[in-house]
Amino acid sequence: MSLKVLSEKYIRIALAGNPNVGKSVVFNNLTGARQHVGNWPGKTVDKKEGVYKKGNITAYIIDLPGTYSLTAFSEEEIVARDYIIYEKPDVIVNIIDALNIERNLYLTFQLLEMGANVVIALNKMDLAEKSGIKIDTRSLERELGVPVVPTVAPRKEGMEELVHKVVESSSKKTSAKLRYSPEIEKYIERLEGIIRSSADINKVFNPRWIAIKLLEGDNDVLDKIKGMNGGKEIVSEVSKIKEDMKSELGDPEVAIADARYSLISSILKKVVRGKGKIPASDLLDKALLDKYLGIPIFLTVLWAILQFAFIGSAPFCDFLGDLFAFIGNFLTGITGIPFVDYLLFGDYGIIQGLGAILSFVPLIMALYFALSLLEDSGYMARAAFIMDRAMRKVGLSGRTIIPMIMGIGCNVPAVYATRIIPDKNDRMVAILTNPLIMCGARLVFFSAIADAFFGAYAGDVVLSLYLLGIIMVFVVAIILRKTLFKGKASPFVIEFPVYQKPSLKVATVRMWDRGSLFFKKAGTVILIGLLVIGVLTVTDARTLSFTDNPENALISAIGKAFLPIFAPLGWDWRLIVAAIFGFIAKEIVLGASAMLYGVGEEEIASKMASMYSPIGMYGYMVFIQLYIPCIVTIGAIKQETGSWKWTIFAVAYGIILAYIMNFLVLVVGHALLR
Amino acid sequence: MDKVEIWSGLISFLYILYGTLQLYNGLLEWWFSWIGLGAVQLGIKLAGAYIPNSFPEPFSGIFLIVIGAVFLKAIYLRYRGLDEYRGFLLAGWALAMIMMAVNIIVIIADILDIYYPLLWGGEIGEGWKLASDAWGLAPHLVIGLLASPLYFTVKDLIKELMPGRE
Repeated sequence: MSLKVLSEKYIRIALAGNPNVGKSVVFNNLTGARQHVGNWPGKTVDKKEGVYKKGNITAYIIDLPGTYSLTAFSEEEIVARDYIIYEKPDVIVNIIDALNIERNLYLTFQLLEMGANVVIALNKMDLAEKSGIKIDTRSLERELGVPVVPTVAPRKEGMEELVHKVVESSSKKTSAKLRYSPEIEKYIERLEGIIRSSADINKVFNPRWIAIKLLEGDNDVLDKIKGMNGGKEIVSEVSKIKEDMKSELGDPEVAIADARYSLISSILKKVVRGKGKIPASDLLDKALLDKYLGIPIFLTVLWAILQFAFIGSAPFCDFLGDLFAFIGNFLTGITGIPFVDYLLFGDYGIIQGLGAILSFVPLIMALYFALSLLEDSGYMARAAFIMDRAMRKVGLSGRTIIPMIMGIGCNVPAVYATRIIPDKNDRMVAILTNPLIMCGARLVFFSAIADAFFGAYAGDVVLSLYLLGIIMVFVVAIILRKTLFKGKASPFVIEFPVYQKPSLKVATVRMWDRGSLFFKKAGTVILIGLLVIGVLTVTDARTLSFTDNPENALISAIGKAFLPIFAPLGWDWRLIVAAIFGFIAKEIVLGASAMLYGVGEEEIASKMASMYSPIGMYGYMVFIQLYIPCIVTIGAIKQETGSWKWTIFAVAYGIILAYIMNFLVLVVGHALLR
Repeated sequence: MDKVEIWSGLISFLYILYGTLQLYNGLLEWWFSWIGLGAVQLGIKLAGAYIPNSFPEPFSGIFLIVIGAVFLKAIYLRYRGLDEYRGFLLAGWALAMIMMAVNIIVIIADILDIYYPLLWGGEIGEGWKLASDAWGLAPHLVIGLLASPLYFTVKDLIKELMPGRE
């Protein structure tokens, strides 16, 4: 169909729709290379804008963030609706997925409530036909009162017709009006009448939309109109009307949502033919999200990942450990300077310490490889959904499960991963509790020690520490949610990505990136930390000369200075020093221990077993598990919270919690043994 | 009952049976050794090894039972004539294949762990033996092999689910 030739026309168009409906494809079809990606001012949401030019038509197109509705729970929703309210685009092209028309129409209704000038692009028509779904687009047009254009965006089908309808609509004011049931309408119209009396508010907002939003209890809208002329009067009337509505229909927000879905359902009965067979992804989702089997399936997958990571990487870990021991032995005596040789290549020198740490790199890489496969397959998002109900009971969003799983590898990317949590309070709680998850670095120390102290029960002990971390996440989350981060938990809406064959290439790249990061960290932070510890260990506290007895060294003076604080926990100065330097990087706890006890990496566990009791060592491990995050994690927390206050809080509460739990272990442990 | 239901039923039964055995043996060894009961094996003994070998690991046992439960639900839904059974069958098959893969990887890791010192002319003690490796002929591998032919029942669903990366 050819475009009507009109006089030079300039149109502003906004694209709106649910995520993954093909909005970006439509945007790319219309703008081609004439596009730019930036950020919405003051937000972390992408802003995509471009230009369509054909003949005498020039259209400025903005691709609004994909949203399921226009409430104010997430940045994306606020950005989308504020743009529509304040910028008042000439036309909103609402892209709808024909395979999920019922879900998509919820947003359409909200656009029509705003009085927006809407043209619908009914996308993925080819897939709908394949599934046996027939949609009568003319009927849908009649029911909604707006143009509906069938499209297949990847093949550019329907694009010309869409542009034609957009141009036509831009010169007409929308007349589309959805009417809900009379019971709901009477309250909407009652409030609408009051709102119409305020000229200032009418100039900016659609009165019907304001009425609906106020009845729903939308605080963002309430704040917007409060400060406007006539706003206070409207606000005082709202609560009266809401009370009346509540006594007749129940919660107004629920009643309005029900009304929308009821109208959607009645429209679809008229326009959609053929249910279509159940898509494969829905069939698999029925199993993976099963009410009773969903969580056990998730735990099974998680267990398989951990088995793969720990047992699968074991030979590589052992190989690296042997390699560093060989390097240390080979280089011993090479400098000819006893002090330097001792520090660097001795049985408990820096090379051995570094080797103890780096030998766990294969474990971290294997974990990341497996987690990447899981994410790539599309299952991770489903896991978040399954866990949501359980997580919500402790004040955490279901999305928190993803950073929690990543925290098993390392807390640093896990803290950054909290960006996927849209609600600010949910996100803060997730950031502050993530360091309680046992990361691979702590595992380095625990694995070595558990074996020496607990023999056949070593696996149990390490597992108990994992579980302790998870339990503490829940406990701290509940406390934070009831105190510092009070508020209603945000509704959990997540778009499931399509299932796909996980890419070995992508997983390998991610695994390599993570491993390289670890090596980089080892080459900088950890090496410097070990160097500092090493120098302090071989420098006599009184004479500042070389000593091979750590008891006389500067390091023991540092540890002994803190003895009064940690004596109730049964620690000696070595445990104190190892814990202090664990702040630099948790991996250092093991490497430092080797230096402090004057033994090689292979003997450290048995040396410690001869000096401490199992209960005392378990208490120490509990402390290491729960206390302050490492310096890199602290940096990540500062970056993501943007606040020194919360960063210091994360450090402080960790130390206090760890101290209390260590003490409790001793008390309970000794009581049980009596 | 058709072939698929019978075979899935057998797989489900085996997973639940050997999962229960591993859970029992694991509980005995890890926490209740003071009771004094011995481990139970229900495999075929061949050259000193049981096939399958129910090594004592309670968590492994629990997760084998979970896989059995998924297959059981698939059979139940198919018996009721509901299309949803295909999703459960696929989920059960996928979990079975994941467990089998983990088992194979563990065997390879165990072999590497014993023989890598040969890289620098080191000595190895006792070499690796399938019979002496707990994971050697574990239920994860043996029942996984039995479950693998179910691929032909679920392959259309897999193709529809994952047509290939863009």
